[in-house]
Amino acid sequence: MNFAATLGLALPIGIGLAAIGSGIGLGFMGRGAMEAMGRQPEALPKIQVAMIIGFGFIEALTIYAFVTMFFLQGKIG
Amino acid sequence: MSWLFAFALAALLLPSRPAIALSLAAGQLIMGLNFFFLEKLVKLFTHGGASSKGARRSVLPGRFFGIAALKLAPVYGGAFALIRTRSVLPAAFAAGLSIPLLTIVLKSILLAFGSGPSSWTRRATSTTAISGNAVKLAAFFFLIPLFAAILVMPGAAGAQTPGQPPHAAAQAAAPAHSESHEEGLPNWVVILNDYFPSSPVVHWMYENQYLVFGWIAGVAFLGFVSFAMRKPTMVPGQLQNALEWIIESMEDVCGGMLGKHLDRYFPYIMAVFFYILTANLIGIIPGFKSSTSTLDVTLALALITFAYVQFSGIRNLGLLGYIDHLAGSPRDVVGFAMLPVMVPVHVLGELVKPVSLSCRLFGNIFGEDTLIVVFVGVAALCLKASLVALAVPPMAGITALFMLLQTLTAIVQALIFSLLTTVYLYMMLPHESHESHEAHGHGDVAAAPHHGP
Repeated sequence: MNFAATLGLALPIGIGLAAIGSGIGLGFMGRGAMEAMGRQPEALPKIQVAMIIGFGFIEALTIYAFVTMFFLQGKIG
Repeated sequence: MSWLFAFALAALLLPSRPAIALSLAAGQLIMGLNFFFLEKLVKLFTHGGASSKGARRSVLPGRFFGIAALKLAPVYGGAFALIRTRSVLPAAFAAGLSIPLLTIVLKSILLAFGSGPSSWTRRATSTTAISGNAVKLAAFFFLIPLFAAILVMPGAAGAQTPGQPPHAAAQAAAPAHSESHEEGLPNWVVILNDYFPSSPVVHWMYENQYLVFGWIAGVAFLGFVSFAMRKPTMVPGQLQNALEWIIESMEDVCGGMLGKHLDRYFPYIMAVFFYILTANLIGIIPGFKSSTSTLDVTLALALITFAYVQFSGIRNLGLLGYIDHLAGSPRDVVGFAMLPVMVPVHVLGELVKPVSLSCRLFGNIFGEDTLIVVFVGVAALCLKASLVALAVPPMAGITALFMLLQTLTAIVQALIFSLLTTVYLYMMLPHESHESHEAHGHGDVAAAPHHGP
């Protein structure tokens, strides 16, 4: 198996794995935020801000995979 | 600030073009010495005039000539010697000389328009501050794309930067491999380049598309703000209300974290927010392009934020406190024993921040753009196969849906970038205020993650 073929197989799988991880993380995060919002609706803006920041951190992981794919895509040939 | 900027520039250029970088630094240094001595001279005069004692007067000429000679010798002598011996490149040297001058000119312009550091926060009541804000924002907006262009330059000499797709779609005689590459939708610069291939201005715009669209974003936002704020009233109109709502809600969120330091940092945070927001939103208009969909612009933004955060950390904590912060604030034996581990971890944590900031913004905006390009490409394929019924209605619907999503992404990404800037600044602040807040049981400090990525 040559380098290009390995890359061509690995890049989409890598993105998928990163997306799975991020999805699980986002799910936990969203659940926590929703429960907190339901319990304390008056703290809604603060929870939302913290949630969005957290979303940014989690989402960044998939984006890293995406950027990596984008950098290596040219080498598939 | 200009020193930081120029030295960062010199350091950036150092690997690829050492001669230019050294010349830049030399010009910078000489102009710095010049200003240093000039300041001494002016202070001599003003202090002598203020005290106006007879005894001081007699001392003045001697000191004056001493400092003047000191100024002349290294500054002009050094400059001439450097140029004469041809050890520096004239152009880069001149650029190094002009950067501090440029900063001073910009600063005086800002002062002339009467803008203080906290002018963002008193927009509604004091109307004169508006124009000052506009100038400050304008300076910021025009500096960002320029900085990005500087980042592009070393890369352009070698391989093509990954942020710049080859735009093969626009050219009729495109090579055969162009199908497999990402192609941006043709924007009006590309179309202009097709019609006027010989014009140097158009060609320059074609080569520096992101610069052009960054400027367009800046001008668009400035136009919008000056239109919305042309007659600010206590009871705001629609546009003014919208802007004030944005600014006030951001003020609430950031104020929860930064507390009494808000006034100092809020202009920067809002400038970043509005620049990214405008640049993102402009990409949705057909024929335009987001300047944030290239890694160069986002990296420039993230590096400026990084430098600003580190600088404010040193200013707030002091140099020793800053080093202590980087070492993880060891207070006991275990802390000092962990020092060799904690220092690299913290330094790495700081260095990763600009990478994560820039990659996140770039990846999101570029990803959305690519998505729309793909769907439009599918529609074009269907059109080519004369499957109009299949192509137009569903593809238009899907594209519109993704454009809606893109609007959401644009806002959220601008929000995330500026909020993360706030969080990073908050982590660099002295933590006494935070702890005292908690001790009093106010609990009005918004939950901020202490551990960044």
